[in-house]
Amino acid sequence: MSTLSEESRQIVASLAQSVGPNADTARIAQAIVSTLQDMTAALTPIIGQQGVVALYRRSLHLCASNHPRLAGTYDSVQTALDLIALNSVLVEQSEVDALFFGEVLLTTFYELLTTLIGPSLTARLLRGVWEPSLSDTPSQENSP
Amino acid sequence: MSTKVTINRLATGVPGLDEVLGGGLPEFSFNMIAGPPGCGKTTLAHQMMFALATPERPALFFTVLGEPPLKMLRYQQQFDFFDSEVINQSIRYVNLADDTLAGNLDEVLRRIVSEVEAHSPSLVFVDSFRSVVLASQTQDNPNNNLPQFVQQLGMLMTTWQATTFLIGEYFTETDTNPIFTVADGLIWLRQSVERNSMVRKMEIMKMRGQPTLPGLHTFRIATSGIKVFAPAPLNPIEAPLEFPIKRLKMGVPQLDEMLGGGLPRGYSLLVAGPSGSGKSILAATFLAEGARNGETGVIAVFEQRPNHSQNATLAGLIQTGQVGLVDSRAPDLSIDEIVQLLLSEISRLKATRVVIDSLSGFELALAPTFREDFRESLSRMVTALTGAGVSVLMTSELEDRYTDLRFSPYGTAFLTDAIIVQRYIEVQSRLLRIMAVVKVRASAHSDELRLYRIDDNGLQIGEMLPDQEGLLGGRPTRRLSKDRV
Repeated sequence: MSTLSEESRQIVASLAQSVGPNADTARIAQAIVSTLQDMTAALTPIIGQQGVVALYRRSLHLCASNHPRLAGTYDSVQTALDLIALNSVLVEQSEVDALFFGEVLLTTFYELLTTLIGPSLTARLLRGVWEPSLSDTPSQENSP
Repeated sequence: MSTKVTINRLATGVPGLDEVLGGGLPEFSFNMIAGPPGCGKTTLAHQMMFALATPERPALFFTVLGEPPLKMLRYQQQFDFFDSEVINQSIRYVNLADDTLAGNLDEVLRRIVSEVEAHSPSLVFVDSFRSVVLASQTQDNPNNNLPQFVQQLGMLMTTWQATTFLIGEYFTETDTNPIFTVADGLIWLRQSVERNSMVRKMEIMKMRGQPTLPGLHTFRIATSGIKVFAPAPLNPIEAPLEFPIKRLKMGVPQLDEMLGGGLPRGYSLLVAGPSGSGKSILAATFLAEGARNGETGVIAVFEQRPNHSQNATLAGLIQTGQVGLVDSRAPDLSIDEIVQLLLSEISRLKATRVVIDSLSGFELALAPTFREDFRESLSRMVTALTGAGVSVLMTSELEDRYTDLRFSPYGTAFLTDAIIVQRYIEVQSRLLRIMAVVKVRASAHSDELRLYRIDDNGLQIGEMLPDQEGLLGGRPTRRLSKDRV
């Protein structure tokens, strides 16, 4: 795995924190899906539903091509941003695989957006996802 | 106390635009930014938005179909005015693509209204409004009524105390379009292409209640954003000539004598002569003499390689900052851009002497689209510069003609207050130079044709050639001796 940027390290750390120790795959899947929901909620008003779906699909594609062991998982979730489908695929995995998939997917999504609109704007738009306490709007209730 | 409504005018933050708009942007106005693709509409909108939006006066930017917001954000952040930190705070982007795709204008209006009510913006942008219109037309939806939609939008935005901009691609201003009627302001952006040159122009076709500056105004887009070159304001009350006339020394004592004691202050002087006759040397001497008396100057050089043609005196003055150099090699200059460059340099240095070397180079530096109006342009430049109170020396390349006596190739001699003409003559198998003062407005001056030469110390004016006649024909003949008695 290539060296992670500071932001990616924070994403991984934040995911680990929300998953907690000794979590089962259901808990891991829920943490990943919930983060994605927050990202979607933050981006959709600005770049539109279609823009977010396109970024998600591109992220999945990049995950699979950079990490061949994820290709199988990728094949089973590559529908339009369907987080329920993602959740059901993730719970089939082992804890380690599910967490790894989540880390790679979230950091890839973030890095992809960074290449398009730059680090400062990406951080600005997604600030509420990882720093709810610093956000100017109350974080939305996204948990199922 | 007046009980009439006061319309606040907002400073747009776009250099030159407030002047062109006639004093800024009227608050709560409903405006249209129109023009063909690539003319800078979205950039103009963003630059104004970033300048005007504050936490107390937030902005909403609706993106509709057209340029995907991701790309817009990607490219707009290349500009210096773009500040990521204010996004989602004083500036919010709202994507309406899905609502627009459905093609229902009522639904689009409902979304805009609900966002406006939720955020109470002071500034609203809709980019691109054209796509809203197109989407409504392609749908087989009898309920869509564009004039009504625009009417309602305009009314809603104004009552919500929002200054609104609709951004749209339009190619001809003759489009019968309900928006053009409803809008308070109509800003057209254009790209005028002639051969290999492209010039951006802006026109304020309409701005209710404002004395806008008519006509096309050139602008440039750089990393700092859009810069509009508004024409220099004309000073309506020109200071009357003071008597006795205050005069500037030219740096050549004999020439001062010929001018009747020097160049009257605030005059424009045309130095016309053939190539190599010493016009640039005279211009440099003029600036050096100013510097010797503690005055500062500005020189505008329009040469392909300005450093190569510069003489040592001038280079020294530029280096010490006594003379400011305006050396714009930007392609496709407009007269207003040059005047603005000159005026800003003049006010920076508090300059009193200005040199333009040469008019021929200046004409070449102008974009082809302005060359037809060269005389008008020149007249405006001279007026703007002398209006600023400076004395101007302009050089003009003059093809030597021995059959007629002309002073400039542009028929611009009447524009200047004073004229010095230089000529080559042939005497005894030598190429000699003569100089004469042709005109000094409201002042006595010499009528002598004087020989002069150029050496290491500059321009040295010599005697007349009383025993020769026909000097202006270039091939003088010796007068018959009986005439001299």
